[in-house]
Amino acid sequence: MDTRPAVVLSDVKKSFPLAGGASLEVLDVGRLELPVATCTVLRGRSGAGKTTLLNLIAGVALPSSGTIRVDDTDILGLSEARRDRFRARQVGYVFQSFNLLAAFSAVENVMLAMTFADVVPRRRQRGRAAELLARFGLAERLGHRPQHLSRGEQQRVAIARALANDPPLVLADEPCASLDARTAGVVLAAFLSVCRADGKTLLMVSHDTAALSEADRVLDMAELNRAEAAA
Amino acid sequence: MTILVIALKYLRGRLIASVLTAVSVALGVGLVIASVLMASGIREAFVTSATDYNLVVGAKGSPMQLVLGVVFRIDVATPNIRYTTYTALREDPRVEVAVPVMIGDAYQGFRYVATNAAYFAALPWRRRSFALAVGRQFHDDAPDAPAFEALLGAEAARSTGLRIGDRFSEGEEMAEYPFTVVGILKPTHSADDRAIFMSLASFWQMNEVAREQTMKPLTAVLIRPKRMSDLPGLHRERNVSADTQAVLPSGVILTIFSMMAMAQEALTMILATVGAIVLLYLFVAMYSATQERRREIATMRALGARRATVLGIVLLESGTLAAIGGIVGIIGGHAAAILAAAALSTRSGLVTEPFVFAPLEPVILAAVIVLGTMAGLLPAALAYRMEVTENLAPLS
Repeated sequence: MDTRPAVVLSDVKKSFPLAGGASLEVLDVGRLELPVATCTVLRGRSGAGKTTLLNLIAGVALPSSGTIRVDDTDILGLSEARRDRFRARQVGYVFQSFNLLAAFSAVENVMLAMTFADVVPRRRQRGRAAELLARFGLAERLGHRPQHLSRGEQQRVAIARALANDPPLVLADEPCASLDARTAGVVLAAFLSVCRADGKTLLMVSHDTAALSEADRVLDMAELNRAEAAA
Repeated sequence: MTILVIALKYLRGRLIASVLTAVSVALGVGLVIASVLMASGIREAFVTSATDYNLVVGAKGSPMQLVLGVVFRIDVATPNIRYTTYTALREDPRVEVAVPVMIGDAYQGFRYVATNAAYFAALPWRRRSFALAVGRQFHDDAPDAPAFEALLGAEAARSTGLRIGDRFSEGEEMAEYPFTVVGILKPTHSADDRAIFMSLASFWQMNEVAREQTMKPLTAVLIRPKRMSDLPGLHRERNVSADTQAVLPSGVILTIFSMMAMAQEALTMILATVGAIVLLYLFVAMYSATQERRREIATMRALGARRATVLGIVLLESGTLAAIGGIVGIIGGHAAAILAAAALSTRSGLVTEPFVFAPLEPVILAAVIVLGTMAGLLPAALAYRMEVTENLAPLS
């Protein structure tokens, strides 16, 4: 069994500049490790820096200081283009608002992630996307555009898209927050089931009791974020 | 999926806006193509019609009126000259071909042109050729035995509906001497398509004024010298004569072209303005599309798309719109030129060849694609520089 952590953050700080040369520190994490193939749920009040933390781990935002290692790779040492490629291949990202692309069908939305990662051969992309969507019960919805899908279906497409390149790390930012309780339960169950079955390391922002009860570990931003504690 | 497919799907996703943008590009390109085709076509038609003969001899007056009236029949004919002018030129050893021309009235708007067989002769130096669609040419009648036979230009035959064997006349004067159609010419793409040809003898007999005259009249004589070195001498001699002037049609054509050049400069400025407006429209369309798509672009970046990839998608979209608009515009421009050529032919007999693809057209298409892609450069740069996290905030 691989005992190395999937993600390691050391002394990571993130500040935003303010007018007059001052800055606002929103995140200060001393040490955070996410073990491989575990489900960690992150909770905290609004504005506590949860999304910022996910963005830093995904490499879509850069910290003001500190180091971030994902799958033993110092992502801050990579050039932006290499970091983009690394993210496409190693990280799956599920957004709270789904963020499906309106001009593309469900299967095309999933294929889109494969296009950017360039891991799955082009001729196999459609088949893999269809297979993933079928795992989430969307075999009959492959050609539907987002506006013709229910919110629950949209989020399942978004989850399938996050898993398209079989990334070892999956980040989810309140994936069920905009769903009703019943739909959220169905979507969350499917999501966790697939992540566990495929040995993914999952870091999920959630306040859902079902998610909290299923998690291997629950982290509270109030304890994790020293900037939050100081505030 | 490739980034080209992604760009095409985005274009399809906002189909109406994409179609409108492509149509605006097509209209601009079509206007340029149609204008270029018509301008070059008219120029070519003028040259083709006027350069078979090196000299036109007619009555004193405006040189341009003489050429426009005799060659293009788009001005009133000049006063008459004597038939002996023609016979003298015919006998001149420096002259290879002398063709007498008498421009008369018209039947249903189609001008009578009295001449002889030399007008239609197939000669190696002629740019134009005459071929019969049906029937035969009129006979060169003896002055005392006019046959009143008519040979119709293609457009004259089509518009009047006259067929072989039909007899026609117009007005009381002519009613006494009806003409019989003996032949119809194939299109020549010149003013001759709108002419009704007849022998000089028939015309003189039909025309009341000419009938009474002992010395028969002519409008002009078309001259081709044996050697170009004889041209200045012929030109000078006919100009110093009290009754005649000699005009170099090529000189008149140059004058016409220099007058057209001013109009063409204005047209070029208008077309350049149209092009700028089209590019501006394309820019605005791409800019608004990129602004509307900020969240989607941020999502693609979060999924691992590089900055260069989103830049490429936007550029491919604008380039594709420009390419589609350019191709449709070239086809549409030819269609418009065909319609304009038909209208021009009906009005003046000057016919262009709008089906011919000019070598300039691939250059125009390439320029449209490059400029169209460049119109997407700023929106693409906007997409390139877009801050990901700012645009990924959850929707409320």
